[in-house]
Parts: sequence; structure tokens; C-alpha cells
Amino acid sequence: MKSELELRGVQQRFHARGVASGYITAVDDVSFTLAAKPPQVVSLVGQSGSGKSTIARNVLGLQKPTAGSVLYGGKDIFKLSRAEYDAYRRDVQPVFQDPYAIFNPFYRVDRVLWKALKKFGLTKSRSKGLELIEESLRAVRLEPENVLGRYPHQLSGGQRQRIMLARVHMLRPSFIIADEPVSMLDAQVRKHFLDILLDFQREHAMTTLFITHDLSTVYYLGGEVMVINKGQIVERGPVSTVMHEPSHPYTKLLLDSIPQPDPDARWTSRISVDELEERADAKAAPAPEAPIL
Amino acid sequence: MPMRILTAVLRTIRNSPRLAIGLAILLVMVLIAVLSPLIVKGIGGSTDPLELAAYERWLVPGPGHLLGTDQFGRDVLAMVVSALSVSLQIGAIAGVISTVVGVVVAFVAGYKGGWIDGILSTFTGILLVIPTFPLLIALSAYAKNVSLFQVGVMISIFSWPFAAKTIRSQVLSLRSRPYVDLARVTKARDLEIITTELLPNLLPFIGVGFASSALGAIFGLVGLEVIGLGPGGVIDLGQIIFTAISTGALTLGAWPMFVVPIALLTLLFAALNMVNIGLEEVYNPRLRGVAGE
Repeated sequence: MKSELELRGVQQRFHARGVASGYITAVDDVSFTLAAKPPQVVSLVGQSGSGKSTIARNVLGLQKPTAGSVLYGGKDIFKLSRAEYDAYRRDVQPVFQDPYAIFNPFYRVDRVLWKALKKFGLTKSRSKGLELIEESLRAVRLEPENVLGRYPHQLSGGQRQRIMLARVHMLRPSFIIADEPVSMLDAQVRKHFLDILLDFQREHAMTTLFITHDLSTVYYLGGEVMVINKGQIVERGPVSTVMHEPSHPYTKLLLDSIPQPDPDARWTSRISVDELEERADAKAAPAPEAPIL
Repeated sequence: MPMRILTAVLRTIRNSPRLAIGLAILLVMVLIAVLSPLIVKGIGGSTDPLELAAYERWLVPGPGHLLGTDQFGRDVLAMVVSALSVSLQIGAIAGVISTVVGVVVAFVAGYKGGWIDGILSTFTGILLVIPTFPLLIALSAYAKNVSLFQVGVMISIFSWPFAAKTIRSQVLSLRSRPYVDLARVTKARDLEIITTELLPNLLPFIGVGFASSALGAIFGLVGLEVIGLGPGGVIDLGQIIFTAISTGALTLGAWPMFVVPIALLTLLFAALNMVNIGLEEVYNPRLRGVAGE
């Protein structure tokens, strides 16, 4: 099956009080395509509030965009037939940001894996299911006996986030939508996590949309990168090009905001965020504001 | 799953002496109520102690009649025991009805949101501010010879909004949790999410809702009885108080007719409130006196 995930002119507005227009535009006319073949890692970088997570929710079908559409295999994901919907759900799976809130505190962590097995009809037999679960846990370098039967609060953040990866490993989707998956992990666990993602890309041909605010993880993952600012994608291209020769002032601002890990290069110069943002705004194509209301 | 709930309940009880005491008192009262036909029989022996003119009128408390007899020669202890059972019944009827209605309304409003929530919340709000007691008086003055069940329904009409209001706000905060999103991308339907993801986490709130509606109903009925407007054919604690007042039992030395029902009601009130506070304490960390789990 030709699977491709495409965003076409996606716009997402939220009602907001105290704003002159009565709404805020979180995502503004975003279009891009994720191809399953060849498997790749595409990063989406931007600061807090730039609309990254909203895009993830749109792609996952958790939030219907105000305008534009999200297409899976050429069809709008909100108008899929039952069989197509099943395929889409199976094929597009998330890793969320918060490894604490992702587990229902009422249940053992195994439930997340068993639910996935059952809902996607991977196997009917319990012993086969347990086999699959253990295999997936080992694939994300977790010892099944250390995590199975535990409650979420008994596991560390890194362990929990890797259980979510094990879930993805079990389902083998073509697309992983990873929304800031490492922002709450410490540096060591973070690298571990990114390596597993890269493994998935190589061994199981999974394409990852990696959403982050952290440029160093983007650099580590490589592949393509898209820079988003105020709901608009302002720059895209291969990581090496964008990082070394940023063309958009906002990308430059992002790169300048990282302290150099060099004792001689003291981070003394003050960055005037306002000034840089103004320049970035001025350069960004003035989007025609067409109020829909 | 049932085992899981049972262990959770046991753990909760262990953590709160208040809850344990409250539940113990309640349990004893329920036992007395359930066994009331046997107890009444034991008191009367061959005669029915609740029959008119079973004994002499206005006997003072003594060995034969621990709490004396009333103006019709009925044994007061037997009356109190069966009245306790009636009062608990009304509490259970109204508690169950208002909890079920409250929970359904709360989940529909909180989970669906939008205009459905608007309508339901407005309706709940209107019922909340209507002064209940005058309306109950009017209703029972119209409805002559109503049964216990009908009175229960009447009282629950006004007591479900409290439960609905508190549970709705909890649903609002729970429905945007990441684990709900995860359930949605695992193809869980709305009803399944409500019953398996949200409901277990709301059990303490539902318990509090039940306890307070039951308490409200018992006291509502006492209020009606004290002014002489209760269901016909049954004696509840309020009616004994009413008779004690209207016949001037205190001046005749029949003080137990007045004191014992009031003491029982106070004890019931204290027990249910202890359960309420205990549940809140266990599930609201900010109220926890000592470090809990």
C-alpha cells in the first residue's frame, strides 16, 4: 500500500478571550508530506507556543483542523471508511511528551501494551501476546521482569517513555509522531531514546516526525528539518544545511540562543529577542489575514 | 479488575482512620437495619411490639421496655430499630438515584462539552439554586399517601445536581489527560474511555456524591416528618421525633422517644461525614495530614 502522510494548508484556530480578533491561530497554512519510503526522520523545531504540538494532534486525528486537511494515502483522515481508519490508526502512532501523564495511574503499565495488542488484533493467544510484549520490551532495552506488573509510579521517566516505544515497536507503524518525547528525560536517557528511534528507522522502516524545541537532538538525528514560528513553517531542508547556513532570521535566532559548550566562548553578548523577532517578522512573508468569522 | 478495586479500597481504608471509623459505624447501623425484623420480633416475643395497644401506654423506660412505650402502647425500642431501617432505605434510594443521574449527566456534559455541556450545566445550575425544602413541602402536600420510594425519587430530583456539578469538573480535567489521547489512538470508543479510563479515577468523587445525597435525603425526610408531611404507613426516625414533640412526650417522662432518634441521626451524620472527609483526604493530597502513599 502506498502510504503517505500529507498536510495540506492546515490551519488551526482556537477561540481566545482578550484577543482583538477573538481567536488565536496556532497553526497557519502548514503543508508538508511525510513519505514512508524511504524511511526518514523529519524534525519539526520551534519554540514553545509555535504550534508544534497542535500539528501533532492534527496529524494524529485528535484535533480536527479549522481549515485544510490531513491526508493519509491521499484521503482525508476525518473521512475514512472503517477499514481505512483501522489502517490509518495502526500506521500512525504517537510517542507523547509526558511519560508520567501518559499512563492511567489506576492500572499496571502492562495494560498499555495488552490494549494495543487486543485493539489492533495482533494475536488472540495470551502466550503469544506475552511473547510479543517481551520481545518489544527487549527491543527498547528494557528487561520485561523489571517493568511488567508494575504501576506507573514505580518506574522512572525513562523506563516509562521506553514502554511507549515498545508499544510502537509492537505495532510497527509506518509513521511515528513523536511530540517532544525526550524533553522530560535526562541527557543520558535522551541519547538512548534517540538511538532506539534511529534503530526503528533502519530496522523496521519507520518514518518519524520528531517534534522538539531542542536543536541539539535535531542535529543528532539528522535527516530533514522544518523550522516553525508562530504557526508557520519558515524554513525547511536537510539538517546540515539549515544548521550551518540558516536563511531565515528566526532560525538564526534559534541557533544563537544555544550557549556554546566552550569555556573560551563565554555567553556574554546579550541577545535582544524582541529585536530579532521583529526582524524575523519583517522578513516572513506577510500572511494575508482573512478572518473567517 | 474487581480484585484491583478491592485492594484499592482496602488500602484506602488502612490509610485513613477517619474513613475506617465512619465505615464501621455505618456498617453496624446497616446491620441493625437489615436485622430489624428479627430484632423487633425478639423484643416482642409472641406479641408484635409495633401493634397499637400492644402494651400499656406511656410506660417509662424499664427492664421490660428499655426505652418505654408511646401514646399507643408501642415499644419505643422496636419503633426506633425499624425506623432506622426506613431512614437508611430512603438514604439508599435517593443516594443511588441521584448518584446515577448525577454521574450520567456529569459524564455526558464534561466529556462531550460544547452546547450539550452548556444546556446540561445551565439546567444543573438552575436546580441547584432552587430552594429545595419549600418545594418538597409543596410536593408532599399535594401527593397524599406517597410511598417511600416516591419520596426518595422526589428528594433525589433536588439532590443529583450537587453530585453532577463536582463530578463534571473532574471529568473536564481528566478528559484532556494524555492517557485519554493514547486510548483514542488505540481505537477506544468514547463509552469505553469513559468507563475504563475516567470512571475508576473518579470513584472517590462518586462515593462522596453518594454519601452526601444519602445524607441529604435522610435529613430531608426527617424535616418533612417533623412538620407532619411524610409518606404514609411507615415510621422513620423523623416521625418518632414528630410524635414526641406533638404529644409532649418529654413531659410524660418518655424522653427516649425524643433523644434516641436524634442521637441516632447525629451518629449517622457523623459517620457519613467521616466517610466523606476520609475519602477526600485520601484522594486530595493537599488535605492529607500525614504523608500518605
